Amino acid sequence: MKKNGFWSPYLAGAGLGLTLLASFIIAGQGLGASRAFTVVAGKAMNAVAPEYTATLSYLSKYLERSAFSDWTFLEVTGVLIGALIGALVFRGFKLRFDRGSSMSVGMRVMTAFGGGIILGFASRLARGCTSGVALTGGAQLALSGWVFVIAMFASGFLFAALFRRLWS
Amino acid sequence: MSMPFVLSDTVNLAAAVVIGLFFGFFLERGGMGNPHRLTGVFYRTDFAVPKMMFSAILVAATGLCLLSDLKVLDMSRVWIIPTFFWPQLAGGALFGLGYLVSGYCPGTAAAGFASGRLDALVTMVGISSGTLLFSVLYPALEGFYKMSDMSTVTLPELLRVNHWVLLTVVYVFAGFMFYVMERHERRGRDPLAKKSLGAVS
Repeated sequence: MKKNGFWSPYLAGAGLGLTLLASFIIAGQGLGASRAFTVVAGKAMNAVAPEYTATLSYLSKYLERSAFSDWTFLEVTGVLIGALIGALVFRGFKLRFDRGSSMSVGMRVMTAFGGGIILGFASRLARGCTSGVALTGGAQLALSGWVFVIAMFASGFLFAALFRRLWS
Repeated sequence: MSMPFVLSDTVNLAAAVVIGLFFGFFLERGGMGNPHRLTGVFYRTDFAVPKMMFSAILVAATGLCLLSDLKVLDMSRVWIIPTFFWPQLAGGALFGLGYLVSGYCPGTAAAGFASGRLDALVTMVGISSGTLLFSVLYPALEGFYKMSDMSTVTLPELLRVNHWVLLTVVYVFAGFMFYVMERHERRGRDPLAKKSLGAVS
Protein backbone atom coordinates (compact mmCIF):
# COMPACT_ATOMS: atom_id res chain seq x y z
CA MET A 1 0.00 0.00 0.00
CA LYS A 2 1.21 3.47 -0.85
CA LYS A 3 1.55 6.12 1.82
CA ASN A 4 -1.64 7.83 0.64
CA GLY A 5 -3.61 4.85 1.97
CA PHE A 6 -4.89 3.65 -1.39
CA TRP A 7 -3.91 0.61 -3.39
CA SER A 8 -1.82 0.86 -6.51
CA PRO A 9 -4.20 1.97 -9.29
CA TYR A 10 -2.93 -0.94 -11.42
CA LEU A 11 -3.95 -3.43 -8.72
CA ALA A 12 -7.31 -1.76 -8.08
CA GLY A 13 -7.78 -1.55 -11.85
CA ALA A 14 -7.10 -5.25 -12.30
CA GLY A 15 -9.70 -5.98 -9.60
CA LEU A 16 -12.15 -3.67 -11.36
CA GLY A 17 -11.42 -5.40 -14.68
CA LEU A 18 -12.13 -8.83 -13.17
CA THR A 19 -15.36 -7.45 -11.70
CA LEU A 20 -16.36 -6.16 -15.13
CA LEU A 21 -15.49 -9.51 -16.74
CA ALA A 22 -17.52 -11.33 -14.08
CA SER A 23 -20.44 -9.04 -14.86
CA PHE A 24 -20.29 -10.00 -18.57
CA ILE A 25 -20.16 -13.70 -17.65
CA ILE A 26 -22.80 -13.67 -14.94
CA ALA A 27 -25.27 -11.06 -16.13
CA GLY A 28 -24.46 -10.77 -19.85
CA GLN A 29 -23.89 -7.03 -19.46
CA GLY A 30 -21.18 -4.72 -18.19
CA LEU A 31 -21.20 -2.23 -15.34
CA GLY A 32 -23.31 0.92 -15.15
CA ALA A 33 -23.99 3.87 -12.90
CA SER A 34 -25.85 6.80 -14.47
CA ARG A 35 -28.94 4.70 -15.18
CA ALA A 36 -29.50 4.31 -11.44
CA PHE A 37 -29.62 8.10 -11.02
CA THR A 38 -32.18 8.37 -13.82
CA VAL A 39 -34.31 5.66 -12.23
CA VAL A 40 -34.25 7.36 -8.81
CA ALA A 41 -34.89 10.83 -10.26
CA GLY A 42 -37.67 9.52 -12.50
CA LYS A 43 -39.37 7.70 -9.62
CA ALA A 44 -39.12 10.78 -7.42
CA MET A 45 -40.59 13.04 -10.07
CA ASN A 46 -43.31 10.51 -10.80
CA ALA A 47 -44.27 10.54 -7.11
CA VAL A 48 -44.44 14.36 -7.01
CA ALA A 49 -45.93 15.09 -10.42
CA PRO A 50 -47.27 11.91 -12.05
CA GLU A 51 -49.27 13.64 -14.80
CA TYR A 52 -46.34 15.72 -15.96
CA THR A 53 -43.93 12.76 -15.72
CA ALA A 54 -46.23 10.69 -17.91
CA THR A 55 -45.74 13.26 -20.69
CA LEU A 56 -41.95 12.72 -20.71
CA SER A 57 -41.56 9.98 -23.30
CA TYR A 58 -37.84 9.54 -22.63
CA LEU A 59 -38.38 8.55 -18.99
CA SER A 60 -40.85 5.73 -19.66
CA LYS A 61 -38.12 3.08 -20.11
CA TYR A 62 -36.75 3.96 -16.66
CA LEU A 63 -40.12 3.70 -14.95
CA GLU A 64 -41.26 0.36 -16.33
CA ARG A 65 -40.38 -1.59 -13.20
CA SER A 66 -39.69 -0.90 -9.54
CA ALA A 67 -36.24 0.37 -8.60
CA PHE A 68 -35.62 -2.82 -6.66
CA SER A 69 -35.99 -4.91 -9.78
CA ASP A 70 -33.71 -2.61 -11.80
CA TRP A 71 -30.31 -4.24 -12.31
CA THR A 72 -28.25 -1.02 -12.36
CA PHE A 73 -30.05 0.50 -9.37
CA LEU A 74 -29.19 -2.60 -7.32
CA GLU A 75 -25.64 -2.62 -8.66
CA VAL A 76 -25.11 1.01 -7.58
CA THR A 77 -26.58 0.15 -4.18
CA GLY A 78 -23.83 -2.46 -4.06
CA VAL A 79 -21.26 0.20 -5.04
CA LEU A 80 -22.27 2.29 -2.01
CA ILE A 81 -21.93 -0.70 0.32
CA GLY A 82 -18.67 -1.92 -1.25
CA ALA A 83 -17.05 1.52 -1.12
CA LEU A 84 -18.23 1.96 2.47
CA ILE A 85 -16.64 -1.38 3.40
CA GLY A 86 -13.40 -0.37 1.67
CA ALA A 87 -13.34 2.99 3.41
CA LEU A 88 -14.17 1.57 6.86
CA VAL A 89 -11.83 -1.42 6.75
CA PHE A 90 -8.88 0.63 5.49
CA ARG A 91 -9.69 3.63 7.69
CA GLY A 92 -10.45 5.98 4.82
CA PHE A 93 -13.90 6.93 6.09
CA LYS A 94 -14.25 10.50 7.28
CA LEU A 95 -17.25 12.81 7.15
CA ARG A 96 -16.18 15.90 5.27
CA PHE A 97 -17.10 18.43 2.60
CA ASP A 98 -14.24 17.94 0.17
CA ARG A 99 -13.23 20.86 -2.04
CA GLY A 100 -10.33 22.42 -3.95
CA SER A 101 -7.87 24.37 -1.82
CA SER A 102 -8.99 27.71 -3.26
CA MET A 103 -12.71 26.86 -3.28
CA SER A 104 -15.10 28.34 -0.70
CA VAL A 105 -17.87 26.13 0.70
CA GLY A 106 -20.50 28.09 -1.25
CA MET A 107 -18.45 27.73 -4.41
CA ARG A 108 -18.10 24.00 -3.75
CA VAL A 109 -21.87 23.58 -3.42
CA MET A 110 -22.16 25.23 -6.82
CA THR A 111 -19.41 23.20 -8.52
CA ALA A 112 -20.65 19.92 -6.98
CA PHE A 113 -24.26 20.56 -7.99
CA GLY A 114 -23.63 22.32 -11.31
CA GLY A 115 -21.00 19.79 -12.36
CA GLY A 116 -23.45 17.05 -11.38
CA ILE A 117 -26.16 18.50 -13.62
CA ILE A 118 -23.73 18.51 -16.55
CA LEU A 119 -22.71 14.91 -15.74
CA GLY A 120 -26.32 13.73 -15.60
CA PHE A 121 -27.28 15.47 -18.82
CA ALA A 122 -24.13 14.30 -20.64
CA SER A 123 -24.58 10.68 -19.53
CA ARG A 124 -28.07 10.58 -20.96
CA LEU A 125 -26.90 12.15 -24.22
CA ALA A 126 -24.03 9.64 -24.50
CA ARG A 127 -26.24 6.71 -23.39
CA GLY A 128 -24.09 6.09 -20.32
CA CYS A 129 -21.14 7.33 -18.31
CA THR A 130 -17.62 6.29 -17.37
CA SER A 131 -18.96 2.91 -16.22
CA GLY A 132 -21.54 2.06 -18.84
CA VAL A 133 -19.87 3.48 -21.93
CA ALA A 134 -16.16 4.08 -21.18
CA LEU A 135 -15.30 0.96 -19.12
CA THR A 136 -17.86 -1.45 -20.53
CA GLY A 137 -17.66 -0.24 -24.14
CA GLY A 138 -13.88 0.14 -23.86
CA ALA A 139 -13.49 -3.49 -22.76
CA GLN A 140 -15.75 -4.65 -25.59
CA LEU A 141 -13.52 -2.67 -27.96
CA ALA A 142 -16.78 -1.00 -28.99
CA LEU A 143 -16.38 2.25 -30.93
CA SER A 144 -18.77 3.98 -28.49
CA GLY A 145 -16.47 3.39 -25.51
CA TRP A 146 -13.38 4.78 -27.22
CA VAL A 147 -15.17 7.80 -28.70
CA PHE A 148 -16.46 8.65 -25.22
CA VAL A 149 -13.10 8.14 -23.47
CA ILE A 150 -11.19 10.28 -25.96
CA ALA A 151 -13.81 13.06 -25.93
CA MET A 152 -13.96 13.03 -22.11
CA PHE A 153 -10.21 13.29 -21.53
CA ALA A 154 -9.68 15.84 -24.32
CA SER A 155 -12.43 18.03 -22.89
CA GLY A 156 -11.21 17.62 -19.31
CA PHE A 157 -7.68 18.68 -20.25
CA LEU A 158 -8.99 21.63 -22.25
CA PHE A 159 -11.25 22.94 -19.49
CA ALA A 160 -8.59 22.33 -16.83
CA ALA A 161 -6.32 24.65 -18.79
CA LEU A 162 -9.09 27.25 -18.72
CA PHE A 163 -10.00 26.68 -15.04
CA ARG A 164 -6.51 26.30 -13.61
CA ARG A 165 -7.42 27.21 -10.07
CA LEU A 166 -10.44 24.94 -9.73
CA TRP A 167 -8.60 21.95 -8.23
CA SER A 168 -4.86 22.58 -8.51
CA MET B 1 -20.84 -24.52 -19.82
CA SER B 2 -22.85 -21.76 -21.41
CA MET B 3 -21.82 -18.19 -20.70
CA PRO B 4 -23.24 -15.68 -20.02
CA PHE B 5 -25.21 -17.69 -17.48
CA VAL B 6 -28.94 -18.07 -17.84
CA LEU B 7 -30.19 -16.90 -14.46
CA SER B 8 -33.58 -16.33 -12.93
CA ASP B 9 -34.48 -12.67 -12.42
CA THR B 10 -34.03 -12.93 -8.66
CA VAL B 11 -30.56 -14.46 -8.91
CA ASN B 12 -29.52 -11.93 -11.56
CA LEU B 13 -30.65 -9.05 -9.35
CA ALA B 14 -28.85 -10.49 -6.34
CA ALA B 15 -25.75 -10.81 -8.53
CA ALA B 16 -26.11 -7.10 -9.40
CA VAL B 17 -25.67 -6.18 -5.73
CA VAL B 18 -22.62 -8.43 -5.34
CA ILE B 19 -21.01 -7.18 -8.57
CA GLY B 20 -21.68 -3.61 -7.42
CA LEU B 21 -20.10 -4.40 -4.08
CA PHE B 22 -16.83 -5.39 -5.73
CA PHE B 23 -17.10 -2.45 -8.13
CA GLY B 24 -17.45 0.00 -5.22
CA PHE B 25 -14.75 -1.69 -3.17
CA PHE B 26 -12.16 -1.46 -5.95
CA LEU B 27 -13.18 2.13 -6.80
CA GLU B 28 -12.65 3.16 -3.19
CA ARG B 29 -9.38 1.22 -2.87
CA GLY B 30 -8.04 2.87 -6.03
CA GLY B 31 -8.76 6.27 -4.49
CA MET B 32 -11.60 6.91 -6.94
CA GLY B 33 -13.80 8.45 -4.26
CA ASN B 34 -11.34 11.33 -3.84
CA PRO B 35 -12.10 14.34 -6.09
CA HIS B 36 -8.50 15.63 -5.83
CA ARG B 37 -7.22 12.35 -7.17
CA LEU B 38 -9.99 12.16 -9.79
CA THR B 39 -9.20 15.60 -11.20
CA GLY B 40 -5.41 15.21 -10.78
CA VAL B 41 -5.14 13.73 -14.25
CA PHE B 42 -6.35 16.98 -15.84
CA TYR B 43 -3.69 18.97 -13.98
CA ARG B 44 -1.07 16.28 -14.63
CA THR B 45 -0.39 15.77 -10.92
CA ASP B 46 -2.01 12.33 -10.36
CA PHE B 47 -2.61 9.79 -13.11
CA ALA B 48 -4.46 7.19 -11.02
CA VAL B 49 -7.65 7.53 -13.09
CA PRO B 50 -6.23 6.57 -16.50
CA LYS B 51 -3.95 3.97 -14.88
CA MET B 52 -6.88 2.27 -13.15
CA MET B 53 -9.25 2.70 -16.06
CA PHE B 54 -6.94 1.27 -18.70
CA SER B 55 -5.79 -1.56 -16.42
CA ALA B 56 -9.43 -2.53 -15.96
CA ILE B 57 -10.19 -2.26 -19.68
CA LEU B 58 -7.14 -4.39 -20.59
CA VAL B 59 -7.98 -7.13 -18.06
CA ALA B 60 -11.66 -7.30 -19.06
CA ALA B 61 -10.96 -7.03 -22.81
CA THR B 62 -8.33 -9.80 -22.66
CA GLY B 63 -10.80 -11.99 -20.77
CA LEU B 64 -13.55 -11.32 -23.31
CA CYS B 65 -11.31 -12.08 -26.32
CA LEU B 66 -10.02 -15.26 -24.68
CA LEU B 67 -13.40 -16.57 -23.53
CA SER B 68 -15.10 -15.82 -26.84
CA ASP B 69 -12.28 -17.47 -28.86
CA LEU B 70 -12.52 -20.55 -26.64
CA LYS B 71 -16.27 -20.54 -27.36
CA VAL B 72 -16.93 -20.42 -23.63
CA LEU B 73 -18.64 -17.04 -23.76
CA ASP B 74 -21.30 -16.39 -26.38
CA MET B 75 -20.75 -12.72 -27.27
CA SER B 76 -24.02 -12.62 -29.21
CA ARG B 77 -25.77 -12.86 -25.82
CA VAL B 78 -23.68 -10.08 -24.25
CA TRP B 79 -25.17 -6.59 -24.44
CA ILE B 80 -22.72 -4.59 -26.58
CA ILE B 81 -22.75 -0.82 -26.05
CA PRO B 82 -24.19 0.70 -29.24
CA THR B 83 -22.48 3.58 -31.00
CA PHE B 84 -24.21 6.82 -31.87
CA PHE B 85 -21.12 8.69 -32.96
CA TRP B 86 -22.00 12.41 -32.70
CA PRO B 87 -24.16 12.37 -29.57
CA GLN B 88 -21.54 10.21 -27.82
CA LEU B 89 -18.72 12.48 -28.90
CA ALA B 90 -20.65 15.54 -27.68
CA GLY B 91 -21.85 13.70 -24.56
CA GLY B 92 -18.29 12.61 -23.77
CA ALA B 93 -16.97 16.15 -24.16
CA LEU B 94 -19.71 17.59 -21.98
CA PHE B 95 -19.12 14.80 -19.49
CA GLY B 96 -15.44 15.78 -19.25
CA LEU B 97 -16.49 19.28 -18.23
CA GLY B 98 -18.94 17.98 -15.62
CA TYR B 99 -16.28 15.62 -14.27
CA LEU B 100 -13.73 18.44 -13.95
CA VAL B 101 -16.17 20.87 -12.33
CA SER B 102 -17.76 18.43 -9.85
CA GLY B 103 -14.64 16.32 -9.30
CA TYR B 104 -16.63 13.12 -9.77
CA CYS B 105 -18.45 10.94 -12.24
CA PRO B 106 -21.65 9.02 -11.37
CA GLY B 107 -19.96 5.84 -10.06
CA THR B 108 -17.14 7.67 -8.29
CA ALA B 109 -19.61 10.12 -6.69
CA ALA B 110 -21.25 7.08 -5.08
CA ALA B 111 -17.82 5.88 -3.91
CA GLY B 112 -16.99 9.38 -2.66
CA PHE B 113 -20.23 9.65 -0.71
CA ALA B 114 -19.70 6.19 0.79
CA SER B 115 -16.30 7.33 2.07
CA GLY B 116 -17.98 10.22 3.91
CA ARG B 117 -17.87 13.02 1.34
CA LEU B 118 -21.02 15.11 1.58
CA ASP B 119 -20.02 17.16 -1.47
CA ALA B 120 -20.34 13.90 -3.44
CA LEU B 121 -23.95 13.64 -2.22
CA VAL B 122 -24.56 17.13 -3.65
CA THR B 123 -23.10 15.91 -6.94
CA MET B 124 -25.37 12.84 -6.84
CA VAL B 125 -28.39 15.13 -6.48
CA GLY B 126 -27.01 17.21 -9.37
CA ILE B 127 -26.60 14.12 -11.57
CA SER B 128 -30.17 13.07 -10.85
CA SER B 129 -31.38 16.56 -11.73
CA GLY B 130 -29.30 16.55 -14.90
CA THR B 131 -30.90 13.35 -16.13
CA LEU B 132 -34.32 14.92 -15.52
CA LEU B 133 -33.24 18.02 -17.42
CA PHE B 134 -32.35 15.77 -20.35
CA SER B 135 -35.73 14.01 -20.11
CA VAL B 136 -37.56 17.36 -20.16
CA LEU B 137 -35.53 18.64 -23.13
CA TYR B 138 -35.68 15.30 -24.95
CA PRO B 139 -38.30 16.30 -27.57
CA ALA B 140 -35.92 19.05 -28.78
CA LEU B 141 -32.86 16.78 -28.56
CA GLU B 142 -34.32 13.62 -30.06
CA GLY B 143 -33.05 14.31 -33.58
CA PHE B 144 -29.47 14.73 -32.42
CA TYR B 145 -29.73 11.89 -29.88
CA LYS B 146 -30.63 9.42 -32.62
CA MET B 147 -28.07 10.69 -35.13
CA SER B 148 -25.21 8.62 -36.58
CA ASP B 149 -26.51 5.25 -35.41
CA MET B 150 -23.70 2.74 -35.98
CA SER B 151 -25.34 -0.06 -34.01
CA THR B 152 -23.05 -2.35 -31.99
CA VAL B 153 -19.94 -1.71 -34.09
CA THR B 154 -16.60 -2.62 -32.50
CA LEU B 155 -13.16 -1.36 -33.49
CA PRO B 156 -12.04 -4.77 -34.86
CA GLU B 157 -15.17 -4.84 -37.07
CA LEU B 158 -14.71 -1.27 -38.19
CA LEU B 159 -11.03 -1.72 -39.06
CA ARG B 160 -11.52 -5.31 -40.28
CA VAL B 161 -8.78 -6.74 -38.07
CA ASN B 162 -8.72 -9.63 -35.61
CA HIS B 163 -9.57 -8.53 -32.07
CA TRP B 164 -6.11 -9.66 -30.87
CA VAL B 165 -4.47 -7.25 -33.31
CA LEU B 166 -6.51 -4.41 -31.89
CA LEU B 167 -5.95 -5.53 -28.32
CA THR B 168 -2.18 -5.58 -28.95
CA VAL B 169 -2.40 -1.98 -30.14
CA VAL B 170 -4.27 -1.08 -26.95
CA TYR B 171 -1.62 -2.88 -24.85
CA VAL B 172 1.21 -1.00 -26.57
CA PHE B 173 -0.64 2.31 -26.27
CA ALA B 174 -1.47 1.75 -22.58
CA GLY B 175 2.06 0.53 -21.82
CA PHE B 176 3.57 3.64 -23.37
CA MET B 177 1.05 5.84 -21.54
CA PHE B 178 1.79 4.15 -18.19
CA TYR B 179 5.53 4.60 -18.75
CA VAL B 180 5.16 8.32 -19.49
CA MET B 181 2.85 8.83 -16.50
CA GLU B 182 5.17 7.02 -14.08
CA ARG B 183 8.15 9.02 -15.27
CA HIS B 184 6.15 12.21 -14.96
CA GLU B 185 4.89 11.42 -11.44
CA ARG B 186 8.37 10.50 -10.22
CA ARG B 187 9.64 13.85 -11.30
CA GLY B 188 6.74 15.47 -9.51
CA ARG B 189 6.51 18.27 -11.93
CA ASP B 190 5.03 19.19 -15.23
CA PRO B 191 7.37 18.54 -18.17
CA LEU B 192 5.49 21.14 -20.19
CA ALA B 193 6.37 23.77 -17.59
CA LYS B 194 9.92 22.45 -17.60
CA LYS B 195 10.14 22.78 -21.33
CA SER B 196 9.02 26.36 -21.14
CA LEU B 197 11.95 27.03 -18.81
CA GLY B 198 14.23 25.71 -21.51
CA ALA B 199 15.42 22.68 -19.52
CA VAL B 200 14.76 19.94 -22.06
CA SER B 201 16.09 16.59 -20.92
